[in-house]
Amino acid sequence: MSTAVGRLVRAEVALMTRDPLVLTFVFAFPIVTMLIIGGAFGTTPDRAFDGVNPAHWYVASYLTVVIAATGLVMLPVHLASYRERGVLRRFAAAGFPRWSFAIAQLIVGLMTTALACALLLAVTAPVYGLPVVHDGWRVAVALPLGAIAFVSIGVLLGSLLPSARAAQAVGLLVFFPSFLLGAGGPPPHVMGSVVRQVAGPLPLTLLTNAVRAPWLGLGPATGSLIGVAVLAVAATAVAAYRTAL
Amino acid sequence: MSEPDVVIVRGLRKSYRARVVVDGLDLDVPAGEIVGLIGANGAGKTTTVECVQGLRRPDAGTLRVLGYDPVTQAGQLRPLMGSQLQDSALPDRLRVAEAIDLFSTARARDGGELLEQFGLAARRRSVFSSLSGGERQRLFLILALLNRPRLVILDELTQGLDPAARRNVWAAVRQLNDEGTTVLLVTHEMDEAEALCGRVAVMRSGRVIDAGAPADLVERHASTATIRFSMPDPPVAFLDQVRQLDGVREVERAGTLITVRGHRRIIAYVGAALVRWEPVPTDLSVHVPSLEDALLSLLNGESGEPVACIPAARELTGGRR
Repeated sequence: MSTAVGRLVRAEVALMTRDPLVLTFVFAFPIVTMLIIGGAFGTTPDRAFDGVNPAHWYVASYLTVVIAATGLVMLPVHLASYRERGVLRRFAAAGFPRWSFAIAQLIVGLMTTALACALLLAVTAPVYGLPVVHDGWRVAVALPLGAIAFVSIGVLLGSLLPSARAAQAVGLLVFFPSFLLGAGGPPPHVMGSVVRQVAGPLPLTLLTNAVRAPWLGLGPATGSLIGVAVLAVAATAVAAYRTAL
Repeated sequence: MSEPDVVIVRGLRKSYRARVVVDGLDLDVPAGEIVGLIGANGAGKTTTVECVQGLRRPDAGTLRVLGYDPVTQAGQLRPLMGSQLQDSALPDRLRVAEAIDLFSTARARDGGELLEQFGLAARRRSVFSSLSGGERQRLFLILALLNRPRLVILDELTQGLDPAARRNVWAAVRQLNDEGTTVLLVTHEMDEAEALCGRVAVMRSGRVIDAGAPADLVERHASTATIRFSMPDPPVAFLDQVRQLDGVREVERAGTLITVRGHRRIIAYVGAALVRWEPVPTDLSVHVPSLEDALLSLLNGESGEPVACIPAARELTGGRR
């Protein structure tokens, strides 16, 4: 790849492999918490989990944790650090096309997400087994749409926050409530009504619904899927505008 | 017919909130020249070149760079420019050779040759964070020159370089200019401006307050040379003779120390007079006005005190007695 985007993607991938600790949160956190929480609730179908095996409920939910960790924690810190240190100005001054950096980050973010999701499934499948996918095409649409939405949110946060430390603080502050309310925490049925109302419109809740429900045969979750699609388009447009070189 | 100016700036204004940084600046950079932008910290030099590069949007004014508007036509313009920015970095773990690959376009020169030329060939596999300040500067310069730019903007070109590396970089800039590349140089190093620039623009408070060849600026704003020497009991006739010399403006005596000030041509006349009035003083010092003096005079309304001493025996009397 000799285009600007190609050169940026190649450099970013090389940098990631050289600094694997950066990826720890994206790769290790979902796997570790999935194994813990899956073990805690067991594998007996439960009404609180819509009559589904709780471990499978979480397997179907945790791919979105990977996506959120990439978008809300890894990318904002990475981008804010680039901006803080003048790396983006250097790219701009060197004549990199206007959208090349945003597109490259989107590609790298999606590659990271895909790899981390594959690793999550590879580790959890032997332990809990993989739930049958009831509505594959909806899951196949929701996952990349969600990845695009959260990677774009991450790029946007990285372009807005003033420093890498601020990006880390804000990223974690957004990630953990989203994680607990929308994917890796207790199922909605055991939440109080107020908490459930707060959790409902969160982007990660929408994405998790859009993936989990069709995967486990709990319904099409069309509303959530539309919400994720709108989010993906809006976040991508704003992120591309904000990170134009 | 002469070539059009590569950079034309008219009435440029840029403020950061209430602080006006560039205030109605006009600037021309003719094709094929090395033009220096000098001035005190905060004069607006870096903001000016950032507007020229299209990295900042001006509040007012017009800019044409290589025929393009840097704000609306940045996409066409930037590939034609090479930039060495004042404050910027590369990713810490990016290797030198990878940086060359990353920044190379289809027009790129041989990165290996540039690495050899700037003494970084042995650091090809080193990551950016392990480079010294001088090595980073040289790498940035390589990146600025890599894609055969028509205009190169160098902001604090030799900051952090040792004297030998500075000379090496200066030679590279001269070579680049000989090949036809126009250079806009922002610097605090007056010797660098004098060594490289055919024309210099002096900025203060966001405006160009004077411009011209370095020698012309020195002539206009710091033409006073100062000669000092000791002479116990100087003959009155000698002092009278010195006062009468063409260009002498002032002769001052404080004990045995005599100070003569005047146009720089007095250096030759006073030297000749001293040789005639044996014995010549052994502590003769001559302050030749420089661009730095001109800048100080322009910025503060005063000239600096002696910064360069020419040993009497070697420069003025050696081999002539």
